[in-house]
Amino acid sequence: MPIADSSVQPDPSPVLDGGRAEAAPAPGLSPWALALRRLGRNKAALAFGALFVVLVALALAAPLWAQLADTTPARNHLSDTIVVNGKSEQVVTFDGVPIGPTWQRKFFLGADSNGRDVAVRLLYGARNSLFIGITAAIITAFLAVLLGTLAGYFRGWTDAVISRSLDVMWAFPVLLLGVALGVSLALGGLRIGPLRIQGGSLWIPTIIIGVVSVVYLARPIRGQVLSLREKEFVEAARAQGAGPLRIMFSELLPNLASTILVFFPLLVANAILLEAALSFLGAGVQPPEPSWGTMLSDGVVLLSTAPHLTIVPGLMLVLTVLALNVFGDGVRDALDPRAKVRFEH
Amino acid sequence: MPRSLRGVVCLSFACAAMFGLTACGGDDDEGSAGTTAGGAGATDAAGRTGGTIKTAYTSFPDYLDPALSYTQEGWQTMWTVYTPLLTYKHDEGAEGATLVPGLAEAMPEISDDGKTYTLKLRQGLKYSDGTAVKASDFEHTIKRVLNLESGGSSFYLAIAGAEKYVEDGKARADISGIETDDRTGAITINLTEPDGRFPYILTMNFAGLVPGDTPFQNMTKDPPPGVGPYRFENVRVNRGYDLVKVADFDVPDQAVGKLDKIEVDIVKNRRRQTQDTIQNKLDYMSDPPAADQLREVRARYAGKRYKEFVTNSTYYYFLNHRIAPFDDEKARQAVNYAIDKRAIARLFGGLLEPGCNFLPPGMKGYEKIDPCPWGDPTAAPNVERARELVREAGLEGDSVTVFGNDEPESRSLAEYLSDVLNDIGFKAKPRIVEASVYFTTIGNQKTRAQLGVTNWFQDFPHPGNFMFLVDGDSIQSTNNQNFGNVDDPQVNRLLDAANRNADIDEVADEYAQADRLIVEGAHVAPYGHRKLTVFYSERIDFENCTVWHPVYNLDFTNLCLK
Amino acid sequence: MGRFVVRRVAGMLVVMFAVSVLTFLIFNVIPNGDPADRMAGRNSTPVQIAAIEREWGFDKPIYTQYLTTMEKVFTGDLISYANQTSVVEEIKRGIPRTFALAIGAALIWLAMGTALGLYTAMRAGRFSDTLVTVLALIGISMPVFWLGALASYYLGFKLGVFPNGGYAEIGEAGLWEWVKHMILPWTVLATLFVGVYSRVLRSNILDTINDDYVRTARAKGLTERRVMVHHVLRNSLIPIVTLWGLDFGAVLGGGAILTETVFDLQGVGQYFAESIGQLDVPPVLAVTLFGAFFIVLLNTIVDIVYAALDPRIRLSR
Repeated sequence: MPIADSSVQPDPSPVLDGGRAEAAPAPGLSPWALALRRLGRNKAALAFGALFVVLVALALAAPLWAQLADTTPARNHLSDTIVVNGKSEQVVTFDGVPIGPTWQRKFFLGADSNGRDVAVRLLYGARNSLFIGITAAIITAFLAVLLGTLAGYFRGWTDAVISRSLDVMWAFPVLLLGVALGVSLALGGLRIGPLRIQGGSLWIPTIIIGVVSVVYLARPIRGQVLSLREKEFVEAARAQGAGPLRIMFSELLPNLASTILVFFPLLVANAILLEAALSFLGAGVQPPEPSWGTMLSDGVVLLSTAPHLTIVPGLMLVLTVLALNVFGDGVRDALDPRAKVRFEH
Repeated sequence: MPRSLRGVVCLSFACAAMFGLTACGGDDDEGSAGTTAGGAGATDAAGRTGGTIKTAYTSFPDYLDPALSYTQEGWQTMWTVYTPLLTYKHDEGAEGATLVPGLAEAMPEISDDGKTYTLKLRQGLKYSDGTAVKASDFEHTIKRVLNLESGGSSFYLAIAGAEKYVEDGKARADISGIETDDRTGAITINLTEPDGRFPYILTMNFAGLVPGDTPFQNMTKDPPPGVGPYRFENVRVNRGYDLVKVADFDVPDQAVGKLDKIEVDIVKNRRRQTQDTIQNKLDYMSDPPAADQLREVRARYAGKRYKEFVTNSTYYYFLNHRIAPFDDEKARQAVNYAIDKRAIARLFGGLLEPGCNFLPPGMKGYEKIDPCPWGDPTAAPNVERARELVREAGLEGDSVTVFGNDEPESRSLAEYLSDVLNDIGFKAKPRIVEASVYFTTIGNQKTRAQLGVTNWFQDFPHPGNFMFLVDGDSIQSTNNQNFGNVDDPQVNRLLDAANRNADIDEVADEYAQADRLIVEGAHVAPYGHRKLTVFYSERIDFENCTVWHPVYNLDFTNLCLK
Repeated sequence: MGRFVVRRVAGMLVVMFAVSVLTFLIFNVIPNGDPADRMAGRNSTPVQIAAIEREWGFDKPIYTQYLTTMEKVFTGDLISYANQTSVVEEIKRGIPRTFALAIGAALIWLAMGTALGLYTAMRAGRFSDTLVTVLALIGISMPVFWLGALASYYLGFKLGVFPNGGYAEIGEAGLWEWVKHMILPWTVLATLFVGVYSRVLRSNILDTINDDYVRTARAKGLTERRVMVHHVLRNSLIPIVTLWGLDFGAVLGGGAILTETVFDLQGVGQYFAESIGQLDVPPVLAVTLFGAFFIVLLNTIVDIVYAALDPRIRLSR
């Protein structure tokens, strides 16, 4: 799904801040303080931001829940029975149908076809999915800033090479590239010089998602750097004898910060969705590690008899991504200097 | 042969989506029972003849070439199109495992030393395209198997001169061990050593006769004619094919087909197949119903349109004797104690018959091992004892990697075993290998696979075909099938003696003993035998026309409409 | 203008070449098992494997293999490792299905996105505006295969309203059947984009409505309707159409893979997904090139159209 590409600027649509027009900026406040204040007024963004924090907290609390439920994400309970509403039920029936949500400590959200506790797996899966999402977004941001800045500042050959490479990456269907890399690397792992990552490690999908998403951010960054380098303060710095590195760090980066911040929640959202898609296609997280994507892919096979296996991880994923999207909107509204006034009749 | 649900390898959801449409119509075959175009034949006592049905497979058979096909789907079709010199009775159970003459006039005369087989081809046989059948076609058929490097070629290396033929690599060269005379129809085969399994090897589809001018290449796109109740028509690779009844097929004692035509389509999506069959848009489904429809199908159609059969197969975990920790008997015993066969049966949706033996129940030489040394397969396992053994052997905390492939069942089985191993004191994790290279991977000694998921379906109803998987003599460095490198001298001796004797009944006991030794010695960890299914539309005569053959599963020639 | 077009097309070819090299490398350099091994099957012998290697040229150096494979792609000779079928034939069979899905969905999301964008722009600030925006946001937060699975199950299987899964050929089953099979896939795929489009249009409209020249037009006495249609809408729609071109390319290029798989449409994307599961390189390579071609083609067309509309752009590159 498109986040943004070079020909469309980030979409400022301050819908959710309650419909108030922008007041004139108060004198004496730094742009960051201003932004924070704007964000503070955006109730919806704050609410969803809090939701995201809650979800992260839940994910981190996974081991606690596992203790409560007295199991682990990989433990099977295929032959067990539990008591629900006074009746003794099989966790997985003889013909392979797992129990649905019991709303009790054990099997709160039911079991999967391998007899594992869905709630426990969901929380551990959340850890993995969130880890991948956030880390991949960080990787993307880092690489995009690096490439975009180098290309935009030095121009010439550097720019040509980097831009052409980005064009090639852009042309490569993202999902296809991700799946291709995911499948090949899942088997053999990754070996770059002394760095060796096993095929089953979570780092493989993380790096893949991080790398393929670079194109989304690199072009806007490059565009910004191109315009920034012509600004007076850069000229001034150069006149003072600052080298390119110094300029990049002390002048360019701070100005890029707001762009990065605006994109970051969206990058995380995109990474989470991409992980789900890759895992669904078997090219992402490898078993037995749980993730929302693998849970979905296991779940859809049993949609008729055990719909909770599909609905539960899906809902959690949607909530997380939605929270990121709404919060991301709020951040954009707060930071984007070109926040538009809404037209009111 | 190993079973793999090839179509299920495709990504999980492709196998789970919903029902679809009917493709272009055949002659008849919409909904209502009993309406057929294409010939209302006479009604037999055993169902009437005539009519067309639609059936589906999840994946196209590996080959439509008798020399090459080596899967259950392939063989189910091959049997109806190509007849070898010997064949099986078209019957169920032990009867169906009986060898009878096919294109040969009579069962072979075997010399006293067991190395020479003499047969005579029936007179006046014709292929489905009218060509006359010659005795030399037999030698050509075997040459194709060897020259095309078929999966079945190893069986025919027992023939004298076969190895040299393969080494020389010349297609038209002669195989010294086969002599044929086209005038008299005499066929003489010389083996390098006596082998009791050879009559069965002659019965395998690889030896289904094809004309002497059939090219030395994979003929799937345009299969050669054969001598059989059906012939191929309208072969669309990867999409489907038709089996059309051969009108004038009339070989003494050979089964004649009842249906006029069987249309086979490839529908990769098992959910759709199941729905189509429920709605009578599909007449026969050979794959088991989709996992989440199994319950519904059983509840509504068992006994009326649906039935389950235990096959001659064993599902087991191999345990590598050459690498720690399973070189230690205690570790292997622990695995056998710890696995819960009832739990595993659930992973198959109930399509697994838990068992203790290595040989399957339908096999000659099977003697149920009761009581099972590892505990009743239908009761809870003795996990405590397993933990004790691991402790005693000092193996706690040892790292173990469980191999499985990416087909859903295999993956679940690997995950399950990892979990069990972790529970009894190991540090285990599954390692999933892509399905099409799985067996060559675990069959390569260099992989050093400690244990993993595997299964075996009989190639023919001879216990030797199973026992070679645990025979010390079959260990190879690559393409090993004895994945656990089982090498018990007592077992080897029993097998060596028993394999030579062509009369199974005489050596059934030896095989039973070997089976017991394998199980009691914890050389493998078997857990059960697969059940396969038959699911029909309303049109098929379930009562009279369902014949489950021990080797070929559902017998197409006996299928009929109400 | 002509030179611009030539330059862009040349760039397109270079990019395609790079994509093909990259794809080829991914599968042949990253260690993942021997394709000859794979093709030979379970009971293979070393002799068999060597024979396959010779036949397919796996024993030759990488660049020779690349050239041979590319040659096969262009002559249509490409054979799949897994089952020896013609890759080009399979792709040809899948193209109408993928196109049907992509075009249908693209038209729907363009129409719906525009309609919703207009609606929310006109009702800016009201509850309906917020509601629609929230729905749109939910739409883009859903994994498409999840939505597809649920839609397929509840609307198709449970309610029996739609057939769930499969593709009906117009020629065989008739137009209505074809549409029935495509409605759910179209809707599901469109849901991904409708949200974005309506929001972009909405903000564009709200921007342009305040622009100087609109005020001037009003001051000149043009009717509100003319102002809206001729100035506001036209200018708001240009970026939408650009975006649409790029997204359409992306969908054709592989964005449809999940929808196709979920609904079992047997299109090009699904073919890719099935082949990759078996590490079957020829179809993967071919489909990737196919996808990249459309992405690049549509990007180029969009660039050219944009340049035609705005001379500054073609001069700056």
